Amino acid sequence: MKNELIALILAGGKGTRLQALTRKVAKPAVSFGGKYRIIDFVLSNCANSHINHVAVITQFENGSLNNYVGSGKKWGLNGVNTSTALLSPRQTDEGSDWYKGTADAIYANIDYIDSMNPEYVLILSGDHIYSTNYQAMLSLHKKADADCTISVIDVPLEEASRFGILEADEEGRVTAFKEKPKQPKSTLASMGVYIFTWKVLRANLIRDAKDEKSGHDFGHDIIPYMLEHKKRIFVHRFKGYWKDVGTVNSLHQANMDLLNPSLSKELFGSGVAPVYSEDTAAMPQYIGKNGSVADSLINQGAVIMGSVRRCVVSQGVIVDEGAVIDNSVLMPGCHIRKGAKVSYAIVGPDAIVAKDETIKGTADAVVLYSGRGK
Amino acid sequence: MNKVIGLVNFHTSPEITPLTDNRPLGSTSFLGRYGICDFALSNLCNSGISTIGLLVKDHQRSILKHIGSMDAWLSNTKIGQEIVMYNEGAHLHPESNTDINNLRENDWVLYDSSIDYIVIVPAHLVMTIDLRPYLREHIERNEKITAIYAHVRSMVDECVGGKILEKDEDGYVSSTRLNDGTIKGAGDVTLGIYIINRITLVEMIHQLLPKNPYMVLSQLIVEGVKSEMFKLHAARFDGFVRAIDSFAHYMEYSLSLLEKKNIDRLFHPDWPIYTLTHDTPPASYGKNASVSNSYIANGAVINGTVINSIIGRDVIIGEGAVVKNSIIFSSSRIGDGAKVENALVDKYAILTHGHGISGAKKSPLYVHQGAML
Repeated sequence: MKNELIALILAGGKGTRLQALTRKVAKPAVSFGGKYRIIDFVLSNCANSHINHVAVITQFENGSLNNYVGSGKKWGLNGVNTSTALLSPRQTDEGSDWYKGTADAIYANIDYIDSMNPEYVLILSGDHIYSTNYQAMLSLHKKADADCTISVIDVPLEEASRFGILEADEEGRVTAFKEKPKQPKSTLASMGVYIFTWKVLRANLIRDAKDEKSGHDFGHDIIPYMLEHKKRIFVHRFKGYWKDVGTVNSLHQANMDLLNPSLSKELFGSGVAPVYSEDTAAMPQYIGKNGSVADSLINQGAVIMGSVRRCVVSQGVIVDEGAVIDNSVLMPGCHIRKGAKVSYAIVGPDAIVAKDETIKGTADAVVLYSGRGK
Repeated sequence: MNKVIGLVNFHTSPEITPLTDNRPLGSTSFLGRYGICDFALSNLCNSGISTIGLLVKDHQRSILKHIGSMDAWLSNTKIGQEIVMYNEGAHLHPESNTDINNLRENDWVLYDSSIDYIVIVPAHLVMTIDLRPYLREHIERNEKITAIYAHVRSMVDECVGGKILEKDEDGYVSSTRLNDGTIKGAGDVTLGIYIINRITLVEMIHQLLPKNPYMVLSQLIVEGVKSEMFKLHAARFDGFVRAIDSFAHYMEYSLSLLEKKNIDRLFHPDWPIYTLTHDTPPASYGKNASVSNSYIANGAVINGTVINSIIGRDVIIGEGAVVKNSIIFSSSRIGDGAKVENALVDKYAILTHGHGISGAKKSPLYVHQGAML
């Protein structure tokens, strides 16, 4: 059966800069916003964009991530003529190998994509936090008769050298592209979100796979080659909140951003385009007699007996009486014992902060406390 | 293993006006997150019973909305099944709208020879119960019917509407009388949970019902005991149980679960209570929020003060608003500076800026669904 658009989510990276949080867990499966895992956002975007076939391409610590994505039921991606595929590196006739780059991860799954018979493919990253409907980007791609459309966001000039930077003409056609330029000439940053006309991408992937000098990466190899060979590449300007949570500080900041009501409204879709996630059979959250909570986001199943201010608190978290926490992220199942003080920290899943212990970070240097498991 | 079917009985739930004017007690909101029947459904599911029927009396709409795609309480979704059972004919003859007549309408349960035992659980009981030991005992003793009862300390206050049991030395029921709420002191009162052999139920219906076609299951069982058709085995439940029987008790029981000693008796980590997910984000607390001793559901936005209360999903509490000893159902809005005390605010109600309402602890105030004050 023909499909106009299918989504391929790259979720195989290790995310080393998140330190202990990704030692045993793939970055897209890291918990976020009290209730979610990072990958919930793109999967919900796909669901809310009425994309019915989604493949999640996994590699690093793919066991728990594959289990979490499962049949796609949590995002409704398991209905009639709807599917969720999990594509990890595998043994084939030609042998077995890990994915060598983002483009290689797609190349290795050409058979799957062909079987879905798509006109266009949407390539996404499993570790971005944003809310969008991809249909607008698709109609732009079709209208421009593009071979590739790249979603871009305006970034401050001083940060531009961290991104793939594009230049485009008045019609939005890309004229130049440079991955992480030392002297950026524009502030249009690639979000790593692409729509390709599948026929064109397919041919390029096969060509690239044979190129021994290629790093098999979209930003470094595929896009520059296509641009050089006069393929029609256009930009789609994304307006709104978008965060690539790469480091402990940016993960903390993205969590704190949710305390801004207008931002959380945008991300959580105001009931129109919700973020879907796992529903743990948790009890409602309980705030104790001497508990105090302000300026925070608290998920079901949390028990708050102490004081919590400017925090994001997940299910199963226990804050004992007399514990004082501010500007922190408490991940699922962690326990803050009596009298402990926590400030500017991320307390990892199931970590225990001992009685009267003090964990103190600053806005610029957030502490990641992973503690010992229960 | 013997095949067991679980039935959640909505017929035996009391009407507690005004809360149940438009919904059955079983699908009424509880602790801001559950429908009351989630306890019955989860108890059956956690007890390994995979086929579950819902014996719906009325307000089917409300039940269907709560149970959604009907698989939130199933383990294996191929082997398991949730079935809504409804007695269409009873529309014209409300007096015949009984649990027994509902089963006769859905008579495949009675004829399906693969079913050995029927476990029937009222939809309105707040309790967690592992039914497996009771089933095991029922099978091992070769019983025909087992009634599960609780030892109630004050029958005036608890399990009103149940049957008070007297037992002989073998644990069989020798006599029963109604707990009408006037009998002081302690006693053993039935909870409306029965384990029945399918064949026995069929025999009861054939032999006893013709006398009076309006008899409900519990009456039929009493008749069966009287006519010595079978002996009624009584098995005791010792955990936390609340049979909601009045509006005031609904409030009292709900708010009593704010006490740790009660909640710890009701909820157990390895006995999850499942409910329908609404994919609402975590609750959001504003800079001036002040909350103590309360349950807050996801999707709620708290900018005011909440004390000893239960706040439902997607409720908004405005700046300077004070909610005390109250229950607010989902999607209601308490405006800036509004005051609510000893009240239940039903769904989608709006209390405008600065408005104040208060009831008495013994007789809480009720604000209608969708009301604007």
